[in-house]
Amino acid sequence: MSNKTLANEHEHEQKLKTYRLSSDEYQMMTTLLKREPHAIEWALFSALWSEHCSYKSSKMHLRKFSFRNESTPEMDGENAGVVDLGFGEKIAFKMESHNHPSFIEPVQGAATGVGGILRDIFTMGARPIMTADYLCFGEVDAPRMKDLMKGVVRGISMYGNCVGVPTVTGQTNFHARYNKNILVNALNVGYFAPGQKMALSGASGPGNLVVYVGAKTGRDGVHGASMASASFDDDSESKRPNVQIGDPFYEKLLIEACLQILDQELVVAMQDMGAAGLTSSSFEMAAKGQVGLVIDLKKVPLRDSSMTAEDILLSESQERMLLICEPKNFESIKNTFKKWNLDAVILGEVQKERKVKLQWGVETLTDIDPDLIIEKAPRYERPYQRWASPRKVEQLATPTFRPSELIQKLTKSFKLNQAHWIHNQYDQRVGARTAMACESSVAFARLDHSGRGLGLAVGCRPEVMQMDAEVGALDAVYYPAFQLALKGAETLAITDCLNFGNPQKPEIMSEFVASVEAIALASRKLNAPVISGNVSFYNETLEENIISTPATGVVAIRDSVENLISDQFQAPFESLIAVQMKWVESWTAVMAADKKVSSFKQSPGCDVPDFIKQCSQMDAEFKKLDLPISSIKAIGLGGIATTCLKMTTDAIGFDLSYDLNGNQEADLFKDSFYGFIVSTGDNEKTASFLKSHFKNLNVEIKKIGETTNQKITLSTSTQIEPNQFRTDYLKGL
Amino acid sequence: MSLGTKLKIGITRFLGTNCDEDVRKWLQSLSADTTYLWFEDQFDVNHYDMIVLPGGFSHGDYLRCGAMAAQTPVMKSVKEFAKKDKPILGICNGFQILCEAGLLPGALLRNKELRFKDQWVQLQVNNNQNPFAKKTEVGQTLKLPIAHGDGNYYADSETLKKLKDNNQIWLTYKDNNPNGALMDIAGITNEKHNICALMPHPERALYEWMGSCDGAFLL
Repeated sequence: MSNKTLANEHEHEQKLKTYRLSSDEYQMMTTLLKREPHAIEWALFSALWSEHCSYKSSKMHLRKFSFRNESTPEMDGENAGVVDLGFGEKIAFKMESHNHPSFIEPVQGAATGVGGILRDIFTMGARPIMTADYLCFGEVDAPRMKDLMKGVVRGISMYGNCVGVPTVTGQTNFHARYNKNILVNALNVGYFAPGQKMALSGASGPGNLVVYVGAKTGRDGVHGASMASASFDDDSESKRPNVQIGDPFYEKLLIEACLQILDQELVVAMQDMGAAGLTSSSFEMAAKGQVGLVIDLKKVPLRDSSMTAEDILLSESQERMLLICEPKNFESIKNTFKKWNLDAVILGEVQKERKVKLQWGVETLTDIDPDLIIEKAPRYERPYQRWASPRKVEQLATPTFRPSELIQKLTKSFKLNQAHWIHNQYDQRVGARTAMACESSVAFARLDHSGRGLGLAVGCRPEVMQMDAEVGALDAVYYPAFQLALKGAETLAITDCLNFGNPQKPEIMSEFVASVEAIALASRKLNAPVISGNVSFYNETLEENIISTPATGVVAIRDSVENLISDQFQAPFESLIAVQMKWVESWTAVMAADKKVSSFKQSPGCDVPDFIKQCSQMDAEFKKLDLPISSIKAIGLGGIATTCLKMTTDAIGFDLSYDLNGNQEADLFKDSFYGFIVSTGDNEKTASFLKSHFKNLNVEIKKIGETTNQKITLSTSTQIEPNQFRTDYLKGL
Repeated sequence: MSLGTKLKIGITRFLGTNCDEDVRKWLQSLSADTTYLWFEDQFDVNHYDMIVLPGGFSHGDYLRCGAMAAQTPVMKSVKEFAKKDKPILGICNGFQILCEAGLLPGALLRNKELRFKDQWVQLQVNNNQNPFAKKTEVGQTLKLPIAHGDGNYYADSETLKKLKDNNQIWLTYKDNNPNGALMDIAGITNEKHNICALMPHPERALYEWMGSCDGAFLL
């Protein structure tokens, strides 16, 4: 081989590396184009064939979420899923990850995560009304971790508060496996009042205008999508310029301007410029609408006039949208945006010929069929194995531990912590709809038109996932649905954010497939379709993968927002009754405190979906029978004992030494899925109601203790100092 | 409940105001006739019986909270309206704007912990000689939520003395001061008691399901 071809070879290799394309993908690209790609096309294929944009490793499995019911219209390919709530009301909701940017630059990474998910919602014409977060941090003492925690919370708080959308619920997890790759997932729910129009994303109508609205384009986030589709190495710090910068003030203006032009029916289609910016929005709108677009990149409003066409195409500058309108409506759109101090600029027009033609003034940079890059994107069937539950056992051994030491370990590692320091930085009540927020395990907002309560909870417990991917993913749906049911809400629909490691590793792919199938199963059993979602692969740093974390968001409906029962004890000297179905039993929290993974025992004959359904009907019965129920809470990891600890207030404690029924003290910390604790002023009446209500189910119902005047007693041998515990439980950063 | 003869209330709207709808819902539930007042426009002061400045992040909180909003055309009219001794209520960012506009004394600094804070607070009514305190009694406790990053009320000692002597201290935080405000001040009025402002959000505490009904005492 001559030196010259060697040099060319090397250059080619470098190019593939820069654009993160494999040689097979390069072959596909030239076959589809029937020629060598032009300079700019390398960038287009790189962005749109990235894992982040193309879902190339997950798409064939995501089809398993095809189940729909009468309240979930077919909306595939849109920015978020929609649920018809009846009474003319609808919601759109979705969850998304911003893990990689948040690890590099926590404040902006988390902030723009919130911004991005909001745009997915209001681009459909819905007004965002509730935000939730799902966070996984490493060990509190891991390098950078405290700064990451503070930064992420600050980012979410700064953005969400300013746009005026309340952050109403969330979950924060801590585990060593997130030390080098934290997870920041955000969820948003948008509301359609009766008669409010829904906007779609497919471009149509040759001759219609392609209009750019919102903030100007800068260099931030260039190549962000392909960055998010690679594993981290030691050099992740140097990727900081790839992170987008957000301005929630612009977002607020954009929300108002977009909802106004949609309301005036001036828009044919609209799409936000998210991952891969203008590239993905233009190609996706064209592919979706089966039309072509002509766009002149020179017309894009810029913050930095020296930006190249490639920079402009791949910039992930925030708070921008692309829309299609009829020429006669442009003036009105422009005026509305001007009123809100935002740009609206014509970039080009829709054409019949199905090609996206990108111009730089008079020069044509590319002119290709959008399907080549969207529909024909690579799909991989990554190798995996059927899930075999390696930690499932017949008999579960009881570990030896000292309860008071365990509680200290759990509070010290923030695993048993109220996260008050996080939530009190979020505006939880703007919008004046909030009926229950972060003080509780689930949130409720009042729906403007019908006055009903819309419940929202997020799910996925990393320690359960670590124990078993299948049980963990079922639990990611069942547990939030169960928590909502305990407040009297019926599950409607699910969104998910599948955070996984490197899909090219079969063990990761096996967990991914097991999770997808488990979520799909749980969704059918609960009659709650998975209507939207997001996949985040390559959560891997230096070959170390995170715990597979399929986070979920579950929405549920309740007849009203009145009389929601608290998670916290309300009065001393009331009876505590536990109701438990023992589908899965484990020692998850106890083992995790020692950095070990628990085994589990699974019992047949436990109909979890039916239990959840019957729980959701119980709340109305409490009222009908006038039962003095003062608090109710799902039994979380760490069993009855840690759940009771979470139900305490500064003034009210509990005593579980009442009757251990021959059980050991350790059993108070055992996990059994699923169960709940109620406090009641009338033990007899409540117990007899519960027995009759659940008579057809395999559940155990028993009095476990009483609430007290502050004192915390686990057993005759273990007392917990209440003031110390409350201090540890409420501590923050 | 109703405000009797249809009260005409103007609600200011700046870029970034985000409690406008919440305030409008509240006032409409009292059968008031509400109109949004856009920041770029002046309005006819004779047309309105009351002006409310709702909360939010007007003009992105750039420069200082409320500083840019205070310089807008709509505020020219608000000042004119104030001169007629008609009632004005500022909530949260509305309080900040009124201070920046010079309609109320003092300033609202960054919270002492230097972060945004959302929580329920217990407030004490110190004075009920203003249009928004008629339904309350001196010494009464109100439970309202706060949600702000800059609610730390500050004024020089002379101003504070004046506030005290003229009964301009309307509401104070009880037990637990969430932001470091001097003299635990949560709400004040001007000398004539027609311009009133508070950091907490009454519009978020109108019904039991919201967690408190005490906001309804203000109107």
